[in-house]
Amino acid sequence: MILPLGPIHPGLKEPIRLKLKTRGEKVLSAEIDYGYVHRGIERVMEGKTWQKGIYLSERVCGICSYIHTQTFAETFEKIAGERAPIRAQFLRVLTNELDRIQSHLIANSTFFKAMEHETLFVYMLHLREPVMDAIELLTGNRVNMGWNVVGGVKMDVNQSHLDSIMKIMMDLESEYDKYVEMFEHGPLLGLRSRDVGKMTRDDAIKARAVGPVGRASGLKHDLREKHHTYHDNFDFKVIWRKEGDNYARTMNRFDEITQSIRLIKQVIENIPPGEVRKKINIPAGYGDWRNEAPRGEVTYMIETNGNLINNVSIRTPSIMNIDACAKYMLKDVATVPDALATYASVDPCIACTERSVIIDDESQELLERQNKKEE
Amino acid sequence: MLDALKDVIRKSSIHVCLINTGGCNGCDIEVVALLSPRYDLEQYGIYVHNNPREADVILVTGAVTEQWREKLQRIYSKAPEPKIVVAIGNCPLSGDVFNQEGSSVYAPVSDFIPVDAEIPGCPPRPSEILAAILGVGPDAIAAKGRQKP
Amino acid sequence: MSSVIWYLYEFARKSWAEKFAAAKTDPEIMETPSRFRDFPEVRKEYCIACGACTAACPAPMAIKLIRSSDSAEEEGATYPVINHRGCIRCGFCAEVCPTDPKTILCGENHLIREEFTILPVDKMFIIDDYLCIRCKKCLKTCSQVAGAISEVDNKFVIDQSKCIGCGDCIKNCPVKGAIKGIYINHVEEQKDIINLVVDTLESRIEEDQEKIKKLEPEEVYKIDLPMDDLVKKAREIIRNDEIIQDTIEKITDRLKMRILTWDDEKCNNCRLCVDDCPSGAITYDEEKGVQRNPDKCLRCSICYQTCPFGVAGFYVARFLFSGTLKDGVIHITLKPSQLPIRS
Repeated sequence: MILPLGPIHPGLKEPIRLKLKTRGEKVLSAEIDYGYVHRGIERVMEGKTWQKGIYLSERVCGICSYIHTQTFAETFEKIAGERAPIRAQFLRVLTNELDRIQSHLIANSTFFKAMEHETLFVYMLHLREPVMDAIELLTGNRVNMGWNVVGGVKMDVNQSHLDSIMKIMMDLESEYDKYVEMFEHGPLLGLRSRDVGKMTRDDAIKARAVGPVGRASGLKHDLREKHHTYHDNFDFKVIWRKEGDNYARTMNRFDEITQSIRLIKQVIENIPPGEVRKKINIPAGYGDWRNEAPRGEVTYMIETNGNLINNVSIRTPSIMNIDACAKYMLKDVATVPDALATYASVDPCIACTERSVIIDDESQELLERQNKKEE
Repeated sequence: MLDALKDVIRKSSIHVCLINTGGCNGCDIEVVALLSPRYDLEQYGIYVHNNPREADVILVTGAVTEQWREKLQRIYSKAPEPKIVVAIGNCPLSGDVFNQEGSSVYAPVSDFIPVDAEIPGCPPRPSEILAAILGVGPDAIAAKGRQKP
Repeated sequence: MSSVIWYLYEFARKSWAEKFAAAKTDPEIMETPSRFRDFPEVRKEYCIACGACTAACPAPMAIKLIRSSDSAEEEGATYPVINHRGCIRCGFCAEVCPTDPKTILCGENHLIREEFTILPVDKMFIIDDYLCIRCKKCLKTCSQVAGAISEVDNKFVIDQSKCIGCGDCIKNCPVKGAIKGIYINHVEEQKDIINLVVDTLESRIEEDQEKIKKLEPEEVYKIDLPMDDLVKKAREIIRNDEIIQDTIEKITDRLKMRILTWDDEKCNNCRLCVDDCPSGAITYDEEKGVQRNPDKCLRCSICYQTCPFGVAGFYVARFLFSGTLKDGVIHITLKPSQLPIRS
């Protein structure tokens, strides 16, 4: 029997349709329908200046909105062959890690909600609020920050701001272990998450899984390792696990939060003085840049004529992760609630994914023309 | 007498359904943040779940995309009376940055279903959402319930 | 069991009951932090109506410039209005606002500095040095607004990074065409409109060819072309009336069209022109005689100068666009060329 879930369903936060093929209580396989939030954002960006484009790129996804603007700005900096001032690079790392913490916390809280563990769900949201305060203090807005520009960041910070962020991080660290322990050693939670939704390393490579999903399955791959700011200034190690089940994915996120707190402390202690923005003249050309978003790898490919964006293409991590989930994790799952929990554990972000062009294989026709020229 | 009793019950227990009709996800996250202990939406008798069949309040976030044009009206008709629709964020109000040449959104949402309250912002802060929902929600539901069908 | 006792103990305490009864949201959460960027604040009195904020805004419905009605004493003031249903609170309008002090304030923008305000304007202004009479009127106007025009090597130039695209320089320039506002977007569409206008004008003149042939050397022939069809076709190319009018105005100002007529009856098949024609547009066929192919013709007038029998007629047409797109006309003025005839 086919059990359709969504697009509006109590178990899902965002509109997507899961078609579960079930026999009795058992889920045999799953299929996913996309396309509910396709807005044509790449087409809108064409013919705009980067000043407008950066606000559009911010609205690709609401949870990891920061990393989109950073990648957008760094692509333009690559085209110009320059880099932002070193203080701006440090501030970018600071915001990026704060954003990663809040994204991972909300991902884990959604997973606990899917497992019907309301206590931890509320605890995670409780931990998240101070982090949102830190982001708001730093950038001026909670979600869509408007903080990055090509050539640096918009606002400078002073020492009192950094001190209050440091205090928030200290508080978070002292409270944090208690909740991780609840998950790590809790018998009921362990029973429902260990060995559920397993994906082996080979499957992860086949499905091109990235981010915490790939790293929990044994793919030791984190683009922050190769990013010049992290590479030159910070002590950073890739966190990865071998198990590849729901437990490993959630624990991987918890460990990355610890590491992000460590990175933020390093930033605040070592931040150099200086300018936070410089003027960059952009020549005509093409550039691409990859960055590690909270969910994995995000790529921007931009072609510009020096003033306007000619062409832009965005690749976000969720599309690979959701595909990996449907193909390899939702296979022979014991119950339907477990299937929902597995789906929540890959941290799906639908707003990110909806950028595809669908081509009919036989007639080679564009079913949904993304580059719709007529209005 | 019966009406007064109905009013009290309608005001004190509100079920909310959240529909993302093609936004950036930011407003949804701010609604989820309302569930956190700091804002604690549930102490006001408001319960968020995504089930349109028992919803009193429908929160719409997002400009209306191609796929949602008919489905939104279907979901709206499935919610029982009395119901109110609250548009959160700029996308359902004006289409935000997406409503430009070449995009595939059909904002505003009031072209498709009647909207009772609006909360501008991209995204609005949780406190703004909370103030707006508490300001308009309970009374509007009670008032709608008193209208003759 | 122990937990049950603990819960009973917890619930029995008076402080717990008090807290439970008085559970309320902390009023602190309604306060916004100091660096929060709220909706922009507009201070009308400083606005110079340059339109930089509307051009810069990434959201299409957020800012509009409006003008209050004129009173007896003074003109109505122009100022921006923020539409909260469209504003995304990015603060970019405050960043680009060129007035000092700022008309629009938005949050704590530390880096509102001159060198970063790169304006995403839709028009680019340039000074045509050939037509410029160096009256310095634009320099004076601009120094009050943005200070983008300066004198370099006895030439006037516009610094594109400072220009706010207000268009005041064009209004004050005494020479028509010396300062041009060029739309930098929709270049392909503008090309299409230019082609459309030229084709339409040419075909209109072709219709009257018989009359043109009978013109005396000093006589002037005039046609008025109404705009209705042209505008309708142009709107199919692009729906922006401003761009259409701007393009048509500019092209009719500069356009000079050469018209060549061909009178077969006068031809005596001497074939002098066949050899002279540089593009091979004139051919000789034993059956049909001398033939001219208008598509290949360069309108170079060599055949007109060569022909001893006056087969080719050469005329020059100029154009003037007056009125608006709705009720405007293009005046076509045609007169025979004054070129000497060689033979």
